Amino acid sequence: MSRSRRRGPLAIGGAVLLAALVAVLLGATVAGAGERSAFALPRAQTLYMSGSQWSPYGDVNPAKTWDYSTGTIGLAFETPFRYDPLAGKFIPWLATNGAWRTSNVYVMTIRSGVKFSDGTLLTPRDVKYSFDLLKIPTHAQHALWASTGLQSVKVVGRTVVFTFAGKPGYQQFDFYRYNVAIVPQHVFSKFSKVDLTTGNLSPSAIVATGPYRYLSGASSTAQTFVWQRRGDWWATKALSLTPAPKYVVDIHNTSNAAAFANFQAGNIDLFNNFAPRAAISGSAKTYFNKAPFHLGANTTWLFPNTTRKPLNDPQFRRALAYSVNMNQILVKSYQGLVNKASPTGLLPIWSKWIDAKAVAKYGFSYNPTKAKAILAAAGYKDKDGNGYVENKDGSDISLSIQCPNGWSDWMTSIQVIADSAKSVGIKITPSYPDYGTLVDDRGHARFDLVLANDRQYSNTPWTYYQYIFQLPILDNQTTVNYERFSSQKAWDLTQLLDRTPTSNTKAYQTVMTQLQTVFMKNLPAIPLWYNGMWAMFNTKYWTNWPSATGGHYTTTAWNNYWQMTSIDMLTHLRAANSS
Amino acid sequence: MTRYLLRKIVIYLVTFFVAVTIDWAIPRFMPGDPVEGLLARMQAQPEAAAHLSGYYTQAFGFDVPLWQQYLNFWAALFHGDLGLSIANFPTPVTELIWGALPYTLALLVPAILLSFWAGNKVGALAARRKVLDNTVLPVGYVLTATPQMWLAIILAWLFASTYAFFPVTGAYSLALQPEWSLEFTRSFLHHWILPFLALFLVAFGGWAIGMRNMIIYELEADYSNYLASLGAPTKLVRKYAYRNALLPQITGLALALGAVVAGAIVVEIVFAYPGLGTLTLNAIENRDYFLMQGIFLFLIVGVLIANFVIDVAYVIIDPRTRIGMQGGA
Repeated sequence: MSRSRRRGPLAIGGAVLLAALVAVLLGATVAGAGERSAFALPRAQTLYMSGSQWSPYGDVNPAKTWDYSTGTIGLAFETPFRYDPLAGKFIPWLATNGAWRTSNVYVMTIRSGVKFSDGTLLTPRDVKYSFDLLKIPTHAQHALWASTGLQSVKVVGRTVVFTFAGKPGYQQFDFYRYNVAIVPQHVFSKFSKVDLTTGNLSPSAIVATGPYRYLSGASSTAQTFVWQRRGDWWATKALSLTPAPKYVVDIHNTSNAAAFANFQAGNIDLFNNFAPRAAISGSAKTYFNKAPFHLGANTTWLFPNTTRKPLNDPQFRRALAYSVNMNQILVKSYQGLVNKASPTGLLPIWSKWIDAKAVAKYGFSYNPTKAKAILAAAGYKDKDGNGYVENKDGSDISLSIQCPNGWSDWMTSIQVIADSAKSVGIKITPSYPDYGTLVDDRGHARFDLVLANDRQYSNTPWTYYQYIFQLPILDNQTTVNYERFSSQKAWDLTQLLDRTPTSNTKAYQTVMTQLQTVFMKNLPAIPLWYNGMWAMFNTKYWTNWPSATGGHYTTTAWNNYWQMTSIDMLTHLRAANSS
Repeated sequence: MTRYLLRKIVIYLVTFFVAVTIDWAIPRFMPGDPVEGLLARMQAQPEAAAHLSGYYTQAFGFDVPLWQQYLNFWAALFHGDLGLSIANFPTPVTELIWGALPYTLALLVPAILLSFWAGNKVGALAARRKVLDNTVLPVGYVLTATPQMWLAIILAWLFASTYAFFPVTGAYSLALQPEWSLEFTRSFLHHWILPFLALFLVAFGGWAIGMRNMIIYELEADYSNYLASLGAPTKLVRKYAYRNALLPQITGLALALGAVVAGAIVVEIVFAYPGLGTLTLNAIENRDYFLMQGIFLFLIVGVLIANFVIDVAYVIIDPRTRIGMQGGA
């Protein structure tokens, strides 16, 4: 009895101590949370989305195009134009119009009455300032000044005048017209050059023209980044547009599986993570109601290292291209969620430029017999009878194919590629290094075959040809020409395409045909399939999502898509209880 | 006592030095250049890439020889500077860690202390009740042999997915931001229970079995029989047995800390709990060397400090240690 009396207070003391500790830790999480919302977001007015933000910190620097918080450009900062990739049209946005006054002078008229979130009016000077920022060499978009021939940006009345030296890089400039964030000079001029290009800007820097303002989430451990609708967005008055959700919550991803569990639980409305085919059921809707269900967002390429034997031989690459059993990849890795790529590698949004005659003449498709014939004709024979062909000099061919470890759909796909190559006598072994190692090896040409899909939707196939053909080849090819294909002709054509305005349809088509021909004749990269713009919509709280039968908008919250037509997705949504 | 402590401190300092050196070295000798990885992730055009590469190399201090990087690392360490995160450049690593640490501690500390307390109590009880022993022993063995991650997945599947008693992921509702309010506290506790249980149950099983075995051993020791033969009440005998049995358990606690921390990391990943575990996964996925290094350093220091505290506590709890030290054993 006496013992229990003595222990009672001790146990209670311990419990109190533990509770106090938990309270202190709870306090620490609260203290570290940055700005707060003083209430729970109302579910019916909130759009939850996932699949964009994989990094825990919420940075809002619009110059950091690779990792700013989802929606920094699009929901907060806006661009002079938007681009509708599905219709192939530019949409006037902060600029009411723009045109080439001469072949090398472009004039943009800036919209009147647009207010930044601090109440200041947007002026053409802000636009000039925003484009001038790209002059800083460490700005990720510095190429606008370095490679389009742009010489000056001047303000004349309500217009901004862009003057180029010689023939402008029309295609690139068009790209920047909808990708340069217009920032307020009176706020951004206070930041240092380093902060402007690579620094983390605090949410107080979000003085922007867009439909949403920052509410919360700029903290290293926040689970979400929250945007709140502005009541005074210019487009409501000027274009009668109002985004339906009052709050937009972007969920920081930890894994596709965790995000999917939340989607299934009804906690996510717009699911931009990858999920297998079986996940599309019940109230989960997609852009297409049948395979491939999703729009194709980018081409997955097989890059051969063209500095190594026998991959330096276009005939060998052609035989390899013929050997890939694409249907098996579509079924085995994707259960029909993706489509086979055109032999040109061009995305469906650019299909009008695809030259069917060139494809008929130089294209390829799965045909093992033909692959064998090409190998034999080119002198690759199996002299030692081991089932695999040898180099022309008789040495063994043993290639490796890589994709990042953990990318399960790609891992299955490269197994299929290796298996199909085996059936035509090419020995390929799959390997799965971690992503960092792969990037390092890829940049330094320490690979045989590697999969990559970096380039997304854009206004111009130039972004694809630059990706494949850019010269000169550097020690480390971090972002383009991984295959180290050295063809001055192809690069000259790419530059010619850049310097041909899209409006000059005939000249543009001529260059496009030439580029497609050079590409398919040489196959410096083998186009495989169109990776999906993964998007599943939960219709419980929001309806009227984009679809093939109406509402042709990009379906993703991924960055750089908002200023295409993802913002239209928000302005066309309807609350489920009101429809 | 002083000599004992000094000796311990020297051992801990040497361990710290070696651990920190390994912590510094591993990311640097791993394949893959973090700056190049960053440039690839940025999709920086070649025109900007050259400038950016030079800028980042300097910003991360990679532009000096390795030995100097090593010395700089130590110098910065003593100023509490763990460098800048690569993936979240230019956020300081310490800021990211301080943000995540409370979540991990909120799981770890209660899980360690409560499992130790409850496991020992239940184990001690089991040792003298056949029915209870028949339950505790197999259940304890199953629990302690279960990997925390697996148990976490089972708990999530059962209590969050199949029966939605608890939320699947996160540390609080997605509709909330951390703040002092009843709603947030409730949401926090609601999200805390499953990851806590995953850690608690595994550790609980281990302590219960350990204590059960130790009590049986102690009850058969000479001093117990002697006490009993003197007519001491059974409860008194058991009390002494419990106290003696607790000593190896405390040693076990020191040894188990590392495993529990590792368990917390994987459990956090399962529940997308925004603590150090999730941060570690993020760091690994993004090749964020400095963040990985910083987190490991925190874990190393944390485990070393906890071990040191247990060492000191041991001296206080067990008089034999003090006598042994005085006798120059």
